[in-house]
Amino acid sequence: MLKKVLILASVFVVILVVFVNTGNDYKSLAKQLKASHVVYNPDKELPAFSLVDHNNNKFDNQQLEGDWTLLLFIYTHCPDVCPTELANVSMLKANLVNSKAEVVPNVVAITFDPLRDTPELLKDYVAHFDKDFLGVSGDKAQIDKLVDAFGAYYEVVIEKDGKTVVQKSSVELPETAVEDGYFINHTAWIYLLSPDGQIFAGFPTPHNIFDMSSDINLIVENY
Amino acid sequence: MFYKIKTIILALAAFAGFTSSFAMSSPQSTGIVIQDPWVRSAPSNAPALGAFMKIHNNSNQNVKLISAYAEGYKDVQLHRTIDDGGMMRMVEQEFIPVTAKGKVHLKPGSWHVMLIKPEKVPAKGEVVLITLKFDNGSSQAVKFKVRKGKKMMMHHH
Repeated sequence: MLKKVLILASVFVVILVVFVNTGNDYKSLAKQLKASHVVYNPDKELPAFSLVDHNNNKFDNQQLEGDWTLLLFIYTHCPDVCPTELANVSMLKANLVNSKAEVVPNVVAITFDPLRDTPELLKDYVAHFDKDFLGVSGDKAQIDKLVDAFGAYYEVVIEKDGKTVVQKSSVELPETAVEDGYFINHTAWIYLLSPDGQIFAGFPTPHNIFDMSSDINLIVENY
Repeated sequence: MFYKIKTIILALAAFAGFTSSFAMSSPQSTGIVIQDPWVRSAPSNAPALGAFMKIHNNSNQNVKLISAYAEGYKDVQLHRTIDDGGMMRMVEQEFIPVTAKGKVHLKPGSWHVMLIKPEKVPAKGEVVLITLKFDNGSSQAVKFKVRKGKKMMMHHH
């Protein structure tokens, strides 16, 4: 009984915290957004991380500070979802530029698949969509920490004895994985980070670039 | 007189040429017509490409696309992207069904043909020849044009 009360009480506290945090500041903004959810939570800062960008420079929390950033997770062996996402973000950026938006965020694409996606490979890959996009790779544990912090998720699809097996991202890949090939199931949100380097909003699929543009303008205006 | 015969022969030849080329793009025998086949242009080091099209089945029988083949790729697979509550799942398909008198639209975020490990990634404007095999015994080689995105979107660029 006591356990139930405690659970209920903690659920209530969580709801209250979420309500107060997103409620006070951005409740009316959140209502006006067409394609995104405000996920800003001042009590939950992005953890410290350290990765490598596609020019082999360090990419950590500092690189997310000072400007607005659109961030997405991708992998280059992705035949459908990731190219669609990257093409959409490139059109979104073009739309913001053409409409003379106050802010055109930087675009960062972090790989789910550092085993195959080296910085060099990412550089050529993301440049196809926009020469200013920044690909980021690095240590798997660091990437997993970030994936978690963004509320993103992925799992790996491998072939084992002629059967398709889906395994959690934390499970080690078989030695032959790279040679045999594998796919990744993953969430495909695009995130907007504020100039203080924190997650502000998330855009779930499907991505309508015109609604996204107007949301970005609205968020920047009300920030 | 000779001139007339020549004209008739030429006209017949032209007609034959017309019908045979027409038949190639839409085989009357099987009733399966491929419309708007395209491959999405990809980075020059892309390990996988997506190919898309509309498959019309004008016959009275349900058919299945059971395989696709293209030269210069390690593998060609049939896939479907499924948005499972925000989780984008890549699911390999044994076949893609097309109901009698129906159609199926292969497009980004849905059914697609996956071209794996290209020897060379085709550039925008190039053509990829993909042979599609159906369970009614028919097959057809289709020219897929490499382009950036859906046709409608081309106008934005």
